[in-house]
Amino acid sequence: MQELLLVWTTGPMLSIALTLAAFMAANWLFARVGRPLWMPPVLMAAVILAGAVAASGIGYETYQQGARWLTVLLGPATVALGVPLYQQMHHIRALWRPILCTLPLAASLAAVYAVGIAWLMDAPLSILASLAPKSVTAPIAMGIAEQLGGSVALTLGGLLITGVLASVFVDWGAKWMKISDDRMVGFALGLNGHAIGTARAFEISPTAGAFASLGMGLTGVFTALFLPFVFPF
Amino acid sequence: MVLLRGFLVLVVFFLLGEALRVLVGLPISGGVLGMVMVTATLMLRGRVSDQLAEASRGLISVLVLLISPGVVGVFFIADRFAGHWFSVAVALVAGTLLSSVTTLWLMKKTAGDRTRGHSHD
Repeated sequence: MQELLLVWTTGPMLSIALTLAAFMAANWLFARVGRPLWMPPVLMAAVILAGAVAASGIGYETYQQGARWLTVLLGPATVALGVPLYQQMHHIRALWRPILCTLPLAASLAAVYAVGIAWLMDAPLSILASLAPKSVTAPIAMGIAEQLGGSVALTLGGLLITGVLASVFVDWGAKWMKISDDRMVGFALGLNGHAIGTARAFEISPTAGAFASLGMGLTGVFTALFLPFVFPF
Repeated sequence: MVLLRGFLVLVVFFLLGEALRVLVGLPISGGVLGMVMVTATLMLRGRVSDQLAEASRGLISVLVLLISPGVVGVFFIADRFAGHWFSVAVALVAGTLLSSVTTLWLMKKTAGDRTRGHSHD
């Protein structure tokens, strides 16, 4: 048994099989339980995957090494977001003013709210620096956290939780504020929830997805350029 | 073959994005720079090839799959929040709730004013 696990974990195939199976199980389960807003597929897949990783005895480190074969594709997948962005350009042109008005304030507040709350609760500076880039897509956020003197692991944890929470909260907020415009919902998802919010937006519609890609890209660029100058105030 | 050609275009743009990041010294990831470059190129060309559209649709449809290994990390790094997990949790939940609602409110406000302005045109 031990020998078999050793053979299976020398290559990435076990990690890939676990990830694919969890993804498909999550999609199936998500449709079965009536697509609940509070449990997006990404969270469902992660819970199933965490259970599978723990149960299989493969160990988190070994799992991550194998899963890198999948996660490296996030690079070209981010580039791929440029295609719907181009295809939806007429929608974006029609809405350029609210986008430009919302972006600087909303992207700043995404960092300021969390840092402010943590500061009020007496969190040390290293925690504040780790939380600041929480709404920025992972590869950019890691660079920002390092520059500000935060912990990359904590930043990654914070931004993953943020992405899942944003997917839920934007849906709630849109319902509560009676916003049914996919463009606004998508933009808010990408701005606050980076890649996780963008994945959620593509489940709503291609238009929402394009606006989420735009929100994610603009927030990443804006935060990367400005946060290092204003932190620590 | 069709899918592979589109995938190659995406990978090449990712490499170009990484090149730009390193050569210009920008603090922005190669993926995001590549995304901007793809959009700009397509706008200049005025059309998108079927191969590229197909490949990007394929990759985007498995975005959740590609993200999920990272999200799993949250369940295994909880101990790194050592001693501050409560303030971190409050900051993340309340901060994200506030910023999500603020973004929606700002979009609604600015877009709403614009449409109302247009109706008088």
